[in-house]
Amino acid sequence: MPRPDELVDRAARALSTRLAAGMTRRSFLGRMGGAVLAVTGGAAVAAAVRPETSEAFHFCGHIWTTGSCPNPLGLPRIDRKGFPLRAADGKPIDNLGRLVNAHGFPINGSGKPLLGPDGQPLPRAPRTRLCEEWVRERYGHDAKQQGSWYRCCSGQIRKLVDCCSPSRKRINGDASLTGYCWNGNRVFCVMYYDSGLPC
Amino acid sequence: MVETFTPAVCGSRRRQRIAVVSFALGAVAASALVGAALGALGQIIGLRVAAVAAGLALLAAAREAGLIRLPLPQSRRQVPERWRAELPLPVWSAGYGAGLGVGFLTFQPVSTFWIAWAAAVALGRPLAAGACFAAYGAGRAVMAVWPRRRGADPTAAVEELASRHGALLRANVAALVACAALLASAQAVDAAVVSMGPGLDPSVQATVLARAQMSSGTTSVSVEPTAEPAVLVPDAASPSVDGDLLAYADSGGIQVINWRTGEVVARVDGAVSRPALDWPLLAFIRTDSTYKHLILADFTNPGSPSERGIARTLVQNDLGRPSLGGGRLAWHKTTNQASRITVEMLSTGRRVVIVRSRIVLEENPALSARRIVWVEQRPRTSALRMRRFDRRRVHSIYTTSGSSRLLWTTALVGRRAYVVRWSLATRAATLLRVSF
Repeated sequence: MPRPDELVDRAARALSTRLAAGMTRRSFLGRMGGAVLAVTGGAAVAAAVRPETSEAFHFCGHIWTTGSCPNPLGLPRIDRKGFPLRAADGKPIDNLGRLVNAHGFPINGSGKPLLGPDGQPLPRAPRTRLCEEWVRERYGHDAKQQGSWYRCCSGQIRKLVDCCSPSRKRINGDASLTGYCWNGNRVFCVMYYDSGLPC
Repeated sequence: MVETFTPAVCGSRRRQRIAVVSFALGAVAASALVGAALGALGQIIGLRVAAVAAGLALLAAAREAGLIRLPLPQSRRQVPERWRAELPLPVWSAGYGAGLGVGFLTFQPVSTFWIAWAAAVALGRPLAAGACFAAYGAGRAVMAVWPRRRGADPTAAVEELASRHGALLRANVAALVACAALLASAQAVDAAVVSMGPGLDPSVQATVLARAQMSSGTTSVSVEPTAEPAVLVPDAASPSVDGDLLAYADSGGIQVINWRTGEVVARVDGAVSRPALDWPLLAFIRTDSTYKHLILADFTNPGSPSERGIARTLVQNDLGRPSLGGGRLAWHKTTNQASRITVEMLSTGRRVVIVRSRIVLEENPALSARRIVWVEQRPRTSALRMRRFDRRRVHSIYTTSGSSRLLWTTALVGRRAYVVRWSLATRAATLLRVSF
């Protein structure tokens, strides 16, 4: 027989999961104050409504809890088409995290080809889109970029992009949100694109 | 706890037997699972730690002999008595068995159990470690059966065992010393990863190892038969050895020579590279202005060898390094969209994609009659992967972490793989032998 506090905890967790799964980001925030659910004791609730203790601030402009899409170097910075960029300077990188030139060959910091132990330039490695290819291979979801929103970060407009999939679980392992996804998709993970436009 | 399995608790001889059997099954299964998990952990780590385990075994032996004092990780829990009241007999007895079988949930009077943990990790083989650990669970089960077989009171049997504490300690000391000796000798004879010195592009067959060596901007090939002096072939690269024959790339193309005599056996001129030899078959990469082609040449008739195109890709992509052996040809193909490793059965032409990825870099396969190894590069790790042809499971048998130490080309013979580890900063390459 579960203890009373376990019953409350379980109920709170189920309620928060249902709420989080069924509402958009704004409606969820609007209807549900974090304090109300946190008081009831559900651990999942606390994770959902206290972004400062989660991964929410892992990059500027992202104030929600959904985690970063898988990426080579730790931050999911992408170019216009969704391919990986080095977060520090926006230079293109391949899937191994190496700087690459326009043809996809790995280069060093001064733009010269990286050489292998045999003295020959290293061959190209795959350079594929974080949402469409990385998520599909790692998690088996038919993921695609859909909705996005904008914030001002480091003096330029940053486009924050939802990587959406039909999965009811997001990359964090808990219930996914509708966010800015459509066609029944939900936010699986997030990425960002720095536009270079001043703000 | 052994008195639990008496007619007074179980109700009848039949129920008692059910309880003992359930207990034994639970104990053996749980201990086997623990062993398998530890073996799997050792496999994931990739580096066998036999020397560390041998050292720990010696320390433990000294502890049990009373020479040193060392605390042990301990849990003094006992099996939950309420299970007997709440659960069906087969469930609680199996649960008791599992609780005691895993070992770490209950008190351990000697350190031998923990040394078995270290040895299982050092072994790095889940099945073997699981089988060894199953004996621990069987030992636990014996303690439930033994008093009954002797017709003795279970409590008296335990007390009898406890009275022989000194003898048991001495037996543990002997077992631990033997364990240390075995682990140390295993480390000496068959260390998991051994540096073979500088070199790249290894090729190995039976007792002959060939490798390329860079020196002052020039490349040479060293052929190193066991117990014979090495043979150096200057201005040569990318060796592939097959008995007394050696294929290598030079400025004019590919040569196949008898490395003992220097006699030229065959030659392919032009923009060709990366030979793989299984005489009379020779696979290589031919590059033209648009494509790289993987060619399989048959020198059965050396005067007019036949050639067959196996695969091709645009010149900016990567194709190769092929590996020939056991009637199979393996190669990798990498584009900016994906990488994959393919094996073709030469007798049937049937192809199997061993691995493909749109994320990571799969490259440089080497095959033997039963297995294939290759290098898998991720952003922060480089792993030597191995798979048996008759199984689907893939193992990492050696891993480097970080983005500056990477793995390169491979070779395989029996249960020994060779892989080049190199530094991105200095381009220095070291040949490693990995036993698995």
